[in-house]
Amino acid sequence: MKVGNRSIDLRGPLRFALVVGLIYFFLIGVSSLEAGIKIMGEDTQESLFSAASNPIAALCIGILGTVLVQSSSASTSIIVGLVASGALGVDDAVPMIMGANIGTTVTNTLVSLGHIRQSSEFRRAFAAATVHDFFNVLAVLILLPVELLTGVISGTAEWISEQLVGSSGTEWKSPIKAWVKEPVSLLRDFWEAVGTSGNVEGIMMVLTGLVIILLALSLITKNMRALVADRLERSINAMLSRGGGTVALFLGLVITIAVQSSSITTSILIPLAGAGVITLRNAYPVTLGANVGTTITALLASLASSSPEALTVALAHTTFNVMGIFILYVIPLARDVPVRAAERLADVAVERRTLAVAYVGIVFIALPLLGVVVLG
Amino acid sequence: MVLAFFKGSSDDGNFDHIVTSAVAMLADARHSYNLATLALLTDADPAAVADDIRDTDQRINLAEQELRSELVVHVSVHGTADIGSVLGFTLLLKKIERIGDQAKNILDLAENGVTLSGRDDIEELLTERQFLSELFAEAGALLSDPDPSSEAINAFSDRATAVMDQHQATIDACMTSELPGREVVPLAIYVRYLRRIAANLGGVVRSGSEPLPLVDYLEDGAVDTED
Repeated sequence: MKVGNRSIDLRGPLRFALVVGLIYFFLIGVSSLEAGIKIMGEDTQESLFSAASNPIAALCIGILGTVLVQSSSASTSIIVGLVASGALGVDDAVPMIMGANIGTTVTNTLVSLGHIRQSSEFRRAFAAATVHDFFNVLAVLILLPVELLTGVISGTAEWISEQLVGSSGTEWKSPIKAWVKEPVSLLRDFWEAVGTSGNVEGIMMVLTGLVIILLALSLITKNMRALVADRLERSINAMLSRGGGTVALFLGLVITIAVQSSSITTSILIPLAGAGVITLRNAYPVTLGANVGTTITALLASLASSSPEALTVALAHTTFNVMGIFILYVIPLARDVPVRAAERLADVAVERRTLAVAYVGIVFIALPLLGVVVLG
Repeated sequence: MVLAFFKGSSDDGNFDHIVTSAVAMLADARHSYNLATLALLTDADPAAVADDIRDTDQRINLAEQELRSELVVHVSVHGTADIGSVLGFTLLLKKIERIGDQAKNILDLAENGVTLSGRDDIEELLTERQFLSELFAEAGALLSDPDPSSEAINAFSDRATAVMDQHQATIDACMTSELPGREVVPLAIYVRYLRRIAANLGGVVRSGSEPLPLVDYLEDGAVDTED
């Protein structure tokens, strides 16, 4: 017996072809952004990105930028494009990438606010959302000072990058760069044909790149979600029947690579946590996997450039998240810290719900804004 | 479970798994009903079937919980496009779970020392029991059918309603009977459970065809089931 009707959807192969096309557009967007920055010239680049020389300001820029576009995949791809253009150094970009990690959690925290009217549901949903916040904030608190003192994250990423494509300062022949070269040239010809030049042309190329990146990523995510929805449903059901742990972490990784958005993965978990279908401790490793999975987009973006630094900064994003997991999840003593903090904050938020809204405003907007204004 | 992501499944994009599980739950509920009514209507020892009935009931409850979680996951992943189906299945599963409880209630009567085996109308009661047991099978068949005809659903619904009316008449007769309470009260309670089971079976079948807001309501707005 059929209970209700299902909507008819685009067939899989057609949607897959569409996604491949969208990835190509996304890479054109990254390359266009890189080209636009290069057109602007060194003086403009320096004045634009001087704020990022302070690591805390760079971290805050990363948070704000990601909150603005609601996607760390988009913001980290933009950062990769900036590094590829040479306007931003790897050292300046790493704190921004860390900020992007924090900023991306705003989406699921906002989703959890949708449950605010029902205490027990809100407690579970808000804790499931903020466990991701706490993990990312703690990872930054630990790893940013370590990175500033030792350069362990950028160093590791640079070493991997060297093994793959060669040393910094040189160029590697990215086949993808060659594929997107022609469309980017056409874009440049277009802006020149409408009478722009110098900085104006550069700004238009950057804006075009940004629009293409955001639009392509949004459509990639939407289509990939539809494409893998049934697989997603099946694997979440399998996880629910067998518990969380390391396998749940890998599931979060696989799902996020598939949908190209950690926000989608973590936001799916929030209603499940709110309804009590998944426990906080089982949802937690999925969000950690999502953290690593989302770095695939920046790695993809780095392929649109011939600069090894672009790949290095994308790898730094992956390295940072993997190190965070080793410190905060693999070590048993540390594992419960984000969980307990999230539970405690959820208890407070249930008692004083305006605090939950204030928390979002302060952590994701006010503090980063203050950081940029004061330190930038 | 990570591999589950990469494997294909014939259930993808539909609710076949939920339907299959609901039919299995219904078969379990029928099993419990058959055992519990036998314990009450014959000289069978209730203790001999009690564990089986309770285990079966627990299995039904667990299946309902798992399927409910799966329905929530479905909405979280697919959005609200299937919300009508999800709510319909939630109601349907709850009805099957209640049938399991009602079978357990009949067992409770038998365990409390009630027996109807010595009644003059025992043959009639056993026939009624068998008729209701067959309604379980018919409900399961209609549930498994991907597109049952409205005639088949209406025919089933009419039979379930006729059984309910017959049970109500028995309950009414018990209310005004001048026979001692120890004779009529156990019968009235037993028949009331049967009436609830028939109502829930009718609800299981109608959940798939009636508009969601009208499930469990009669045309005049009165509720036609009560747990």
